[in-house]
Amino acid sequence: MGYSGARGGLEAILAAEDLVRRKRDHAPAPWASTEQITARFRLAVDRVMGEAGLYDEPTAAAAFRQAEGDTLEASHLLRAQRSTLPRLAVSEAVDPGEMTVLRRIVPAFREPDGPQLLGRTSDYTGRLLERPEGPPEPPTEESARTEVTEVTEVPERTEEQRSPRRFLDLLRKLDLVSEGRTGDDPEPHDITRKPARPPADRSAVLAAMARAESGALVALWYRSVLGPDGDVHEITLGELRHGRLPLRVRHPHTGNPVTVGEFRVTEAEAIEDLDGADEDRTRFDIGYGLCFGHNERKAIAMANLDIANRRFGRSGPLEQLLLLTVDGLDSGGFLEHLKLPHYVTFRSMVERKQAMRAAAEAGEDLPARAAEPTGKDCR
Amino acid sequence: MSTTTYDTAQPSGIGALVAEADAGSPPAGILDEDAKREIRRACLAAVCVPGYQVPFGSREMPVARGWGSGGLQVTLGVIGADDTVKVIDQGDDAGVNATNLRRMIARTTGCGESADTREATVVQTRHRVPEEALTDRHVLVYQVPVPEPLRGVQKSVAECARMHAEGDYSAMWVSLYEDIVRNGMITASTGYPVLVGGRYVMATSPIPRWDVPRLHRAEQLNLFGAGREKRIYAVPPHTEVRPLTFDDVPFEVEHEPGGRCKFCGSDDVYLVNAGTEGAFACSDTEWCARVQAADADTAAHRERAPLALLPDPAARAGRRAAPLVRKTPADDAPAPARRTRTGGPEWALRVDGIGKVHGAGGASAVPGTGPEHGTAISPSTGAVVAAWDVSFDVAPGEALGLIGESGSGKSTVLRCVIGDEPATAGQVHLASVDDGASEVLALPPAVRRRLRIDSMAVVYQDPAAGLDLRVSAGGNIAERLTAAGWRGYHAIRRRAAELLDRVEVPLSRMDDPVHTFSGGMRQRVQIAKALATEPPVLLLDEPTTGLDASVAAGVLDLLRSLLSERDVAAVVVSHDFSVIEALTDRTLVMQTGRVVEQGLTDQLFHDPHHPYTQRLVAAARR
Repeated sequence: MGYSGARGGLEAILAAEDLVRRKRDHAPAPWASTEQITARFRLAVDRVMGEAGLYDEPTAAAAFRQAEGDTLEASHLLRAQRSTLPRLAVSEAVDPGEMTVLRRIVPAFREPDGPQLLGRTSDYTGRLLERPEGPPEPPTEESARTEVTEVTEVPERTEEQRSPRRFLDLLRKLDLVSEGRTGDDPEPHDITRKPARPPADRSAVLAAMARAESGALVALWYRSVLGPDGDVHEITLGELRHGRLPLRVRHPHTGNPVTVGEFRVTEAEAIEDLDGADEDRTRFDIGYGLCFGHNERKAIAMANLDIANRRFGRSGPLEQLLLLTVDGLDSGGFLEHLKLPHYVTFRSMVERKQAMRAAAEAGEDLPARAAEPTGKDCR
Repeated sequence: MSTTTYDTAQPSGIGALVAEADAGSPPAGILDEDAKREIRRACLAAVCVPGYQVPFGSREMPVARGWGSGGLQVTLGVIGADDTVKVIDQGDDAGVNATNLRRMIARTTGCGESADTREATVVQTRHRVPEEALTDRHVLVYQVPVPEPLRGVQKSVAECARMHAEGDYSAMWVSLYEDIVRNGMITASTGYPVLVGGRYVMATSPIPRWDVPRLHRAEQLNLFGAGREKRIYAVPPHTEVRPLTFDDVPFEVEHEPGGRCKFCGSDDVYLVNAGTEGAFACSDTEWCARVQAADADTAAHRERAPLALLPDPAARAGRRAAPLVRKTPADDAPAPARRTRTGGPEWALRVDGIGKVHGAGGASAVPGTGPEHGTAISPSTGAVVAAWDVSFDVAPGEALGLIGESGSGKSTVLRCVIGDEPATAGQVHLASVDDGASEVLALPPAVRRRLRIDSMAVVYQDPAAGLDLRVSAGGNIAERLTAAGWRGYHAIRRRAAELLDRVEVPLSRMDDPVHTFSGGMRQRVQIAKALATEPPVLLLDEPTTGLDASVAAGVLDLLRSLLSERDVAAVVVSHDFSVIEALTDRTLVMQTGRVVEQGLTDQLFHDPHHPYTQRLVAAARR
């Protein structure tokens, strides 16, 4: 059973695959159905959909199960699945203003237009580990109602509450926002068909962030705040939403837009205090974040990095970092390729070391004061 | 073998459309047909522009990025059911990665599989070119982790793109030069950079140096797929592929003296370490097995093997071997191209009405500024008129001074001429460019950058602006020489030594990084670099200002003799009349962005008319 140079690679692979399959699918525990996963691991499924750039809960749940809970591996399965399929249609541009909100908060204002709707969040729940012995009792209608009404009156769910106006609209009305809608990037850059490299349109950078590995984006944000070369102010969060948006495609025969489904997104708007020499220092600018599913950390990091990129992306490394280093499949794949055999390249390196040693033994001294190397070759 | 199954979504909305479309078409395999077409288009573009990295919409494959996803996409794009595929990793058909990819390709395309190169039509490889001869029936698909050969010398992808577009590869040459200086030889191991078709520098996959000659005027089509970086590039059959090395520094392939394969006994193949006893084995397992089975044309193979490129320490341009003084006619490089003019203009450089406004308004900001108003700030727009309506010309062998207080606009004029900042108004002509017919400021940025190689050089006040302080003194000069096309290591060494000697930098410091030098010595290196290609125009921006008085005097002496012995047209910018007096023949006096007085330097110095000039002269005499 060989790893590389020895023979028998196929048998080794098949045995490894079999081991994974047996241990996973026949573990001594009840089978996790797709419904189990979408219902109980909602945030993991959302994260997988976001990082894969493919929205379909049952497919993402299946990938999550097959990947044994490794979200990056699950996104890889989704994206590879997507590669097998033709692109049949392109949807109409989505208007996030149409969102039916499930959660909406406006940290920047005490009484914004519309509600502060906490929705489904554990932000304020004490992080105390619960270890129930068994499944909880099913809630009765009675208990469900009293638990909430004890705290406060439940306001009626009105249209106004589900489709509140944007906090940004208020800021614009107050003339506090620098005009960022330049209209110079009307057709969104499709990063899955046209690889984006700096200098790139804003839509390309936004798309790269929307598909980014969540941890990578948060880490880049934090590094840009705290790292030695960062350019990021932490912003004031203007608005954060989680909600449903309709998806429309044009009907192939009538040409009319038809709603074919719904998807959930998290949306963030970041208020940045402009203070640069060439900036409008009497106003704010807005960074924007939007990603599939419910993933607030990612959307907020994205919004903050969007405005930082527009301000400093090209005077520093940020644009290249955002376009080329936050994709989980790229970074993870490159890292994992180090596990592949490298004995041909390593032999070539060993040969050069030995050649240098032989030259030294033949009397060729290395310089006493060497410059640092100017460039390393690609391996 | 079981095929992978995926849970499918409940048909609803667009899912239903997809399901309907799927029902009528055959299974798509692991890459849909549109993607394959897109990849074939990228391959065709790559074939048309050998060595150029063509961007493509790289798809995610069932293997990780870095595990051959690029090679796999190329293979799936070009292969058909009539083809026979061979896959090797490290030269081995049976390694896990090779096995995995081969079964995936065969299973999803219906093509044949073989470990015999002679039967295969498509060979996908990681890190090797087969030892068996490839023919015009073969497509060799390389898996590429890092397609950018310049990444080692330049981390910005935007800058790498510019360097490729302009063929600006001097940074690569400097890295090779420095390698030899530091290590006595080129230590690059695999992925050795090559020049393809005389145009693009390309990374070789990474295959070992042993395989690099197999790309040169090859029979087979070579396609390189980099999935993670979303690039495809190609070396079509019969294309020139030259490893980057100096003309007098032989390219060396890997070699182990006395090394033989412990299985087949071959000594003319790429050998890898085998076992712990210091033994070797063929990396190409197919070849090894066939040699053992006497099913290989070993004589023809020996003919093809790069045995002429085995390392030869005697031929190497080691540090000691580099002759700094001894000159042999044989390794004389062509002298840098000097443009000789007949009937061209009298001047080498002519500047007409140059102007620079910082801030809004452009030319409309000019009224109300200048010496008569005592300000450079526009009363109407608030813009700063740094320089306006400055005109002069300089003849070969002449030195012109631009003097004024700090902020008078003299350095701005220089920066506009050299191209460090865009001018608001004016024209610049160089006799060396179309005999002075072309307006330099209107040339594209790439062309202007090229002018700085051998038409016009600048010496900045701060040596760090004109030098790479991490690189050796010789390497800094090599940068300019290699940009101008010098390819002889010894010739470059000799020229650099000659220049450093002329500017009185001890030759014992030639191979030291410049950051270890004193300020005066750095300035001398910068001057040597500026003169390296004997440019007809030399611009000096406060060349002695940052230096101690005694060091400044030494540099001034040097510049005076350098200018007097050369046919160069020089422009010297300084706030110090003693510098101007020492170096120049004619002088323009600048105040608040305008020329207030001009004339012969001697006359201005002895009989200044303008009160401002009188002040400057008085300051110099103190």
